[in-house]
Amino acid sequence: MAGYIFKRLVSAIPVLLGISVIVFLIMAMIPGDPATAILGSYATPENVEKLNRDLGLDKPLVQRYFIWLGNMLQGDFGRSFSLNRPVLDEVLERFGATLVLAGTAFVLCSLLGVAAGVVSAARQYGAADKAITFFVLLGISIPSFFLGMMMILIFAVKLRWFPVSGMWPIYGARDISALVGHLTLPALALAVVATGVIARLSRSAMLEVLRQDFIRTARAKGVRERAVVWRHALRAAMVGIIPVLGIQAGFVLSGAVYIEMVFQWPGVGRMLVDAILKRDILLVQGGVVFVAACYVMFNIAVDVAQTLLDPRIKT
Amino acid sequence: MSFLRLLARNRLALAGLVVMAAVVVLALITPLLPLADPDVTNTADRFERPFGAAGLLGTDHLGRDLLSRLLHGTRLSLAVGFAAALIAATIGAAIGIVAGYYGGRIDNVIMRGVDMLMAFPYILLALAIVAALGPGLMNALIAVAAVNIPFFARNIRGVTVSIANREFVDAARLSGMGDARIILTEVLPNVIPVIVIAMSTTVGWMILETAGLSFLGLGSQPPQADLGSMLGEARSALISNPHTSIVPGAMILVIVMAINLLGDGVRDALDPRLKSGALSRPMPTTLVRRETPPPAPAADDAVLEIAGLKTEFHVRDRVYRAVGGVDLSLKPGECLGIIGESGSGKSVTALSVMGLVASPPGVITGGRVQFDGQDLIGAPYEVLRRMRGDRVAYIFQDPLSTLHPLYTVGAQLVEAVRAHHPTPRAEARAHAIELLRAVRIPNAESRIDSYPHELSGGMRQRVGIAMALANDPEVIIADEPTTALDVTVQAQILSLLDDLRRERGLAIVFITHDFGVVAQLCDRVAVMYAGRIVEAGPAAAILTAPAHPYTARLMACVPELGGGRRHLAAIPGLPPAVDRLPAGCAFAERCDKAQAACRQGDIPLVAHGPGRSVRCIAPEPAPEPAPDTVTEAAE
Ligand code: SF4
Repeated sequence: MAGYIFKRLVSAIPVLLGISVIVFLIMAMIPGDPATAILGSYATPENVEKLNRDLGLDKPLVQRYFIWLGNMLQGDFGRSFSLNRPVLDEVLERFGATLVLAGTAFVLCSLLGVAAGVVSAARQYGAADKAITFFVLLGISIPSFFLGMMMILIFAVKLRWFPVSGMWPIYGARDISALVGHLTLPALALAVVATGVIARLSRSAMLEVLRQDFIRTARAKGVRERAVVWRHALRAAMVGIIPVLGIQAGFVLSGAVYIEMVFQWPGVGRMLVDAILKRDILLVQGGVVFVAACYVMFNIAVDVAQTLLDPRIKT
Repeated sequence: MSFLRLLARNRLALAGLVVMAAVVVLALITPLLPLADPDVTNTADRFERPFGAAGLLGTDHLGRDLLSRLLHGTRLSLAVGFAAALIAATIGAAIGIVAGYYGGRIDNVIMRGVDMLMAFPYILLALAIVAALGPGLMNALIAVAAVNIPFFARNIRGVTVSIANREFVDAARLSGMGDARIILTEVLPNVIPVIVIAMSTTVGWMILETAGLSFLGLGSQPPQADLGSMLGEARSALISNPHTSIVPGAMILVIVMAINLLGDGVRDALDPRLKSGALSRPMPTTLVRRETPPPAPAADDAVLEIAGLKTEFHVRDRVYRAVGGVDLSLKPGECLGIIGESGSGKSVTALSVMGLVASPPGVITGGRVQFDGQDLIGAPYEVLRRMRGDRVAYIFQDPLSTLHPLYTVGAQLVEAVRAHHPTPRAEARAHAIELLRAVRIPNAESRIDSYPHELSGGMRQRVGIAMALANDPEVIIADEPTTALDVTVQAQILSLLDDLRRERGLAIVFITHDFGVVAQLCDRVAVMYAGRIVEAGPAAAILTAPAHPYTARLMACVPELGGGRRHLAAIPGLPPAVDRLPAGCAFAERCDKAQAACRQGDIPLVAHGPGRSVRCIAPEPAPEPAPDTVTEAAE
């Protein structure tokens, strides 16, 4: 197992390099002098000259890439001009908040989505199936930012069950109950779309498995139907569902950008949008590379989980 | 045409189509409608409520007419979404076709690149592109299109690979056609439907995405507004004036939902598996819809008695009569063989006993299965479940697919025991090891922790047998348990079953298509053809002197008894399709002795010598005195 994890980590290196190349090339599309573009309104001659020295921006493209890569590997993602602090510090701080939000939403959508898919498949064409199918359709059609706004209107403004926005109360203790209160609405809004997709795919994965011969064997053994569905069928269906969960994690992370805007969540998504509007190029560049790299690592974890679940995969 | 009909049958998809068509038409004629200018501000009339003096939907934070802005915004959002889908599809398809058509290095390099792009959470890529190009609707469109290119490239590449290796492409190449022409004239026309489907399923997504970027303030810039930026601008007034948010948000919801409904309908109409109902989930027990009351039980010493069993498959409007009235009885300790070609209904008969025929599409439409003093047809699920595996156990063909692939054989054996007899795990495990020993699996203590795929075919089948023995059942129904095995293993399994049967006094129903197996194991045999028994009696008597022409033919194609797997296709012709059974004898088409009388009326199963019966008007003469009693029972 350790050997397999190591192999997967090694195989991630070219992907990570590819990601850095793609981000670098996109940023190289910025028209005009790079130093001026990066500095924007801070582009005094001294600043331009200093940046050119630090990042080698007057050098050819290939050389510039390796300087950038080398800096990043040493933990130097550059300096954000709009915030006047190192990019990495800012990204790490913001990414923590995003992880809390996206992580919660991911756990929610995985549990709810799989459960809904299983119930839906087990009661195919029944009332529960129809209800779930309808909510799934609604869930995958509603823009998460609109849903978030409606949730604020209903649950925060009308019913006053939850705070309107933010991660922490402005006054008062920053304890776990305060966090849960602030987290509930955004996490739910973020989870809804992915729940729909996961429920849908889980349903069809379950229907596929429920027709298999080993399900008939379980029934012929006299295993209770509940165990047939949740123990036999779901276990086998998980092999197909786990990769979907990995892909959906990317969608949850993406959706977090909208939800962070709606709920004023101090995450990395809002940071990126602000950075784009302020044309803080280094902050965007660093944030994108960092988050994408984390996502690649997460997918390796998904692969490892998959091998743990399926003894037939050779590790 | 049939595609459109299928689509029309799906009411939800039709609703989606209607809504979408209405929205598109509305968007197209927006400039012609007598609407206020969407961009004229009038701060005096800010935040007018809907249905008030200031227009149907009221006004926004700058006093602009919301209805007009909504329609213009819809127009813009639709245009941008469709444009993004079109661009992504075109570029993605071009990349996919090149990669799929040329293959090799080119394919490798391109697909590596595509994989890298797909390694991003999509919005990061879109944000990076917008960051580089600067905010703006055009740039948002480019970003959304670019992010979706890999999806199209990968899909189209797959299709192209399968097309590029077909004969007509080879033929075109041999005739000296250039690659560009082949791609344009041979490949592209075959790929276009796939592109269209992929587009129809992603266009809703693209509309959502561009609206999203506009919502973030990165797409359309004021005063121009698509639905996303309308929502984004309204956000600051969400609490005081929710209607300005709800109007554009609801519109996005309606559009995307209509597109999704339509897309699902298209997919369902094109997926042949959905048409055949193959994606239906089999229920825990077979559906029972008896059209006639079950026959009265014959009070005799049988442990299991099947009478007048009828099982059908209802697939859409067609009915397949898989089992058309079968009578069988099994005495304690007896081995009864059921033999026939595939499709003769022998397995369906066996599965009907415990309600294990997959349903849908299976339906038991008549008969009685008498076991333990009660009729099991139509018995409540819990009654059947308690008997399954405890008193009547099954052994199935091909244990690789009938054992759960992800649990160890030990876990599956333990479960079989504990499903009926709550025992502590350790005890059940010890019992499982015993069972593995009983079926002569060496190193049972270590084998118990193996997964099915780690065992050989013969070992797996032994596990299947051990599982059937777990609760000391009275009856074992073995459905071709040796068919998937090679000859020597087959012989071992058969002798194992024979020994177990003698040691434990098991009654066995043995389904097979191999007379060699019948000779080795069975006391009595029933020959099935087209869902009915055509001959039944003591195995030895039938093997020495078959009475039904079909039995005789079946035996004639067996080169040597006890040999390996064989197919009975050596009989000319095919069994009749069970949804179109001819009148009279079902075997008439293939029978040498067929005569006019064979094709008229139902031919009954009549007694034919001691303990024998046959369904034929011209059977081989019985060695004993001629038949004198007429009976419908396979005694
Ligand atoms: S009934 Fe006629 S056709 Fe049928 S098996 Fe007998 S002889 Fe052949």
